[in-house]
Order: sequence, then structure tokens, then C-alpha cells
Amino acid sequence: MKQEVLPPIEESVGAGAMAPPLPQKRSVSIFRKRIRKFKTLKRGYYSFLILLVAYGISFILPVLVNSKALVVRYQGQYYFPILKYYPASQFGLDAIGEPDYRALKTKVSQENRGDWVLMPLYPYSATESLLDLPGSPPHKPSREHIMGTDDRARDVFTRLAYGFNVSLTFALIVLGISYVFGVLIGSLLGYVGGKLDIFGQRVIEIWSSLPFLYTIIIVSSIVVPIYIPGRNLVLQPSFWLLIMILAVFDWMGITYYVRGEFYREKAKDYVGAAIAMGVSEPAIMFRHILPNALTPVVSFAPFAIVANIAALVALDFLGFGLPAPTPSWGELIGQGMNYLTDWWLVFFPLAAVFVTLLLIVFVGEAVREAFDPKEYSRLR
Amino acid sequence: MTGYFLRRFLLIIPTFLGITLAVFVIMHFVPGGPVERQIMRYKMAMQEGGGGGRASVEIPAEAIEEMKRYYGFDKPVHVRYALWLWNLMHLDLGRSYIYQDPVWDVIKSRFPISIFLGMTGFLLSYLVCVPLGVWKAVKHGTKFDFISSFIVFLGYSVPGWALGTALLVLFGGGSFLDWFPLGGFRPDNWEYLGFFQKITAQIHYMFLPVVCYMIAEFATLTILTKNSLMENLGQDYVRTAFAKGLNENRVIFLHALRNSLIPIATGLGHVISIILAGSFLIEKVFNIDGMGYLGYTSILQRDYPVALGILVISSLLLLVGNILSDIIYVIVDPRIRFK
Repeated sequence: MKQEVLPPIEESVGAGAMAPPLPQKRSVSIFRKRIRKFKTLKRGYYSFLILLVAYGISFILPVLVNSKALVVRYQGQYYFPILKYYPASQFGLDAIGEPDYRALKTKVSQENRGDWVLMPLYPYSATESLLDLPGSPPHKPSREHIMGTDDRARDVFTRLAYGFNVSLTFALIVLGISYVFGVLIGSLLGYVGGKLDIFGQRVIEIWSSLPFLYTIIIVSSIVVPIYIPGRNLVLQPSFWLLIMILAVFDWMGITYYVRGEFYREKAKDYVGAAIAMGVSEPAIMFRHILPNALTPVVSFAPFAIVANIAALVALDFLGFGLPAPTPSWGELIGQGMNYLTDWWLVFFPLAAVFVTLLLIVFVGEAVREAFDPKEYSRLR
Repeated sequence: MTGYFLRRFLLIIPTFLGITLAVFVIMHFVPGGPVERQIMRYKMAMQEGGGGGRASVEIPAEAIEEMKRYYGFDKPVHVRYALWLWNLMHLDLGRSYIYQDPVWDVIKSRFPISIFLGMTGFLLSYLVCVPLGVWKAVKHGTKFDFISSFIVFLGYSVPGWALGTALLVLFGGGSFLDWFPLGGFRPDNWEYLGFFQKITAQIHYMFLPVVCYMIAEFATLTILTKNSLMENLGQDYVRTAFAKGLNENRVIFLHALRNSLIPIATGLGHVISIILAGSFLIEKVFNIDGMGYLGYTSILQRDYPVALGILVISSLLLLVGNILSDIIYVIVDPRIRFK
């Protein structure tokens, strides 16, 4: 694989006034080549684009899916409830606290005084219980609530939509933290070798033999998850607690690969050359070897994300995941187990998990193909 | 080679000590342990019995001390761990806090269920995945390969237990089809059934859980088989065999396939741990009282002796299974030398 890596040799034409200048051939880095290869793998590439766009959109969800109005024109004044809190009395409603903007919209349009309310596309929030719906929750899917409501009369679609952002953010942060530790420890074990390696391997074996979900359940029952209302999820301490717990059990997977790569790379000539030149050890490890050992790190990542999301869904299902009102896929599936006749509580969240994971798996397969190509030659 | 495996077996001891010590220490420091639960229960009972509406009931300090002594929490953690190890060496896992039976009896009663479920799932997934992987390799690049790959990806993208909830909604008689029972291991009238009725009843109950077990293995095993065979088909000895004029079936099935089964055979070592550990999530979804579910509930109820007992069994099986895999590796592939 290394042969194709070498960039075309560029001849130096420093004093070459006599020779006609060679046509400039830009060298293409190995990384560029792989990205190009990745783009040719349509299934993976389009899955990647879809995920990227969906994740991007999920950050502007408050504008698209929310119970707060975007703009209110009331008695000639403009208000932006999505940005600022207004008491209900501001709009002539005799309620306490935040006004019900959907009700305000109907009221204002009935009064017909030139006022209007611009609601988001899907005017429900992920944490509000829609108590005015007829019948008792969970409600069937209907025109207003395309995926029905859950057992606390919260709209399932909004919870799934916000849950996408939560799940992916969570998985990415866990991946980032566990990669920092995994790559660091893996490269140390591989580079230093010897006694440290034997000792480290043993610790990793013990650590990875600990029953992961068991330990998580024990540990999360120590700290009662507190949900601070009105705060962004990323600022919730319990969110970070769960991330740390998962990362603590997640870093081992990548160490095996990185350690192996370092063992292989450190025997190569360029490392010998670097040592001879007196390059410092950390520089050899991280500037010279690490870029060459990144193949498994990159191709392992999508599958690690799949595992992280699956773990979060399982923990939420059991009730040991993110604290209560956080929109979560696993929690909905758990509700579905209690209301087996209410199929929408199982099918829609499961479909969300399934489609997301499938897209990531497609990306992962294409990344692996681009970064770690295996050509199968067959005679017949 | 014998020396190598002997050393591997000896290394089980420190690893095992490490695992149990870590879990033991975590359990010791988690609040809401058995003593606190006992106190809670006592207070609740007093409040209900007294009925006087008193906000709090004081428990005498001696009683708490007594309780601590009963559960062994009066000693420091290292002493407790040493005691527990000492008892373990005498094959005594202690008594369950909840069931009041010896731990071993509690666990033993769950063995048949877990072994049955794990074994069936395991055998079926090998019976399906290996031939499928072989066929995909033979038909590489065809429509069959493409479509089956897609199905494999579908299987990989859904956690087995989560699929279980959907299967229950679909086939468990909730809102759609009433084909399978909602859960459980066997029907209640099991003892009164005839031999053939028992077989059909067991299949009836086990069909959905086994499907969920298989989903987990399905993707990895199929792709492993396919890639392994593909790799062998590109080797020189296959080229030679074709050059000699052997027919295709003979080359694939007699020459290449045998070599490509090596990585699959090594997975067999983990059988013992897969069979027993099972997935407590699947057992929970289908309400099956297996080992995994027992472990889960014992942690929730702070029944530490049972939880530790299951940890001992499952971690020993895991560690032995790792070595067993390597031994099988050596047996099926004589080129391998460990030192």
C-alpha cells in the first residue's frame, strides 16, 4: 500500500534555465487521494452528505420545530419570542408565565386586527405535555402529531428530531474523548514497548473484561442525574457525567489498533532517520509515526459511533441514560414496551435508530474501503 | 507451546483478581447498599404500621450495627474482599440477600435457560452465516451479493434487543398479529405437555428471542466468512489449482474453503462465554429468566453476592474462552506457533 503513497518526484529546476521547464505536476497527498476515492463510493458518500446535512439542520431545530413563535406582530409592535421571553400579559392573555403561542395565533387571527403570529413549521416542543388533546395519552398519530404522542402527551416526532441531535452529539463527544486517551495510550504502549507494554496490556485486559453495562448501572446509580431546567443539554452536568462514564469504557478498542500500527511503523527507516537526527521522542511519536498510523483510527471511527449510539439507546431504554426530560430514542422504546398496543412508540424511534445507524454504517464501509483498500483478485 | 498456554492460564489469576477487585470496590462504595435498603424498608414498615403520621422513625444505633454485621459491612473493604476470596476458594459464593438461598443454587436454576437460548442462537447463526458468507464470496459482485450485503447491513444497524421490541409489537398480539407469546421461556402448563407438544411449544416461545440473538452475530460472521474466503481465492495456491485444471467447485470447496474457515473456527472458543452470558437486554425484553437478567436484577436490588457470583462465572468463562480460541487456532492451523 505504501508504494502508491509516494508522490511523484518533482524535479528541482533551480538552475534549469537551459532545460525547458517541466509541466508543473501537483503532488497529491495520500489523504487527498483517499478523500477522492471516498467520493467515488457513492453509497457511502451520499450517506455522509445526508448525515452531515441532517446534523447541521438539527442545530437549527428550535427554529423549525418549537412551540415558541418566531415572530409576533401584536398591536403594531414586533416581538421575537424565539429569542426573548415575554410574559403572557404582554399579548393580552391572562395566563401566568410563557404564553401558548398556538392559542395566541388562533386568537389573533380571529380578532383580525392586522396582527399575526409566525409559528415554526412544526409548532410543538420536545418537552411540553399537550394536555388539551382529547383522550388520554399516548395519542395515535394524527394530522397534527404525525407520529402520535408518548405517555406524557409529548409529541413523538419532535422528541425524535431533537433526539437525533442529542444522540449524535453524545456519540461524537464520547468518540473524541475516548480517542484522545486511546490513541495516546496505544501509541505509548506501541512505541515504548517492553515492560510498560506488558503491564499496560494486562490493565487493558482487566478493564475490557469488566462487564460494561453492569458497571455503568452501578456507577450511574451513585450519582442521581439532575436535570437543570432551561439549560442547554451540553451544559447539563449529567450529560457530561454519562459521557465520561462511557468514555472510560470506550478507549480500549482503539488502543489495540494504534499499538499494532506503532509496532509496525517504529521499525521503519524513517523512524531510524529521525532518531539519528536527534528528533525528540514525543516529536517522533506524534509528528512522524502518528500520521502514518491513522488508518485504523479513521476507519474505526464510524463503527465506534454506531456502538456509542447503540449504548446510549440501551442505557436510555433501561432508564440509566440521560436525565428525564431529555429527548431520547431509547426512552421512547422503553415506553413502547409498557404500551405494546401503541405501536408508534416502538416503530418510529426504532426506525430513527435504524436509519441513522444504517447511514453511519454505509459511511464506515466506504471509509474503510477508501482508507484501507483490499483488492481481491480472482482468477475466474 | 505447552509452556505458552500454561503461562496464559496462570495469567488468568491476576486478571481475575483485578476484575473482581474492581467490581467489589465499586460495589462497596455505592450508596444504597443492602444495609441502607434494609433500613429504608424498616422505616416504611414502621410508618405504615404505626400509622401515627410521624415523619421519621429513629432506628437504634445498635440495630444498624447489627444489620451491618449481618451483611458484613462492619469490616473494611479489603478485609471483606479477602473474606470473599477465601470463601470463593472453598467454592462458597455466599447467600443471596433477596432469595435467602445459596448463590450457587440461585444461579444454577438459570443455567438451563441461558444455555438453551445461547446454544440455539449460536448454532443457528453459524448454520446460516457461514454458508451465506461462502455463497456471497462465490457470487462476489453479482446481484445476489449486493442484495444480501444490503440485508447484512440492515441487520448490523439494529440492536438485537431493540428489534425484539418491534417483533413483540408486530407478532406478540399487541396491535397486529398474534403469532407468538409475549415473552417467557416456556408455557405455564409445560409439565402436562407431551413430547411433541413440548417441542412445538418451545419453538413457539423461543422463535423471536433466537432471531434477536442471531441478528447480533449475523453481520459480523457473514462478512468474516466472505472476506476470509475472498482472501484465499486470491492466493497463489488457488491459482495453481485452477492451472492444474481442477474444476471450480473442487478448488473453492476443498482447497480454499478449508483455509478460510480458520478465523471462523477460532471464534468457537468464545462459545462458552456467549452461551452463558447471553444478552440481558434480550432477556429483559422477552421476560426470560436467564443468567443475564438475573445479573441485571441482582445489581438493581443490590443483591451483591449474586451479582458477584455471576461476575465470577462470566469472567472466568471469558478468560478461558480467550485461551480456548488460541488453542483451537493452533489445532486447525498447524503453521501457527505461539511462544
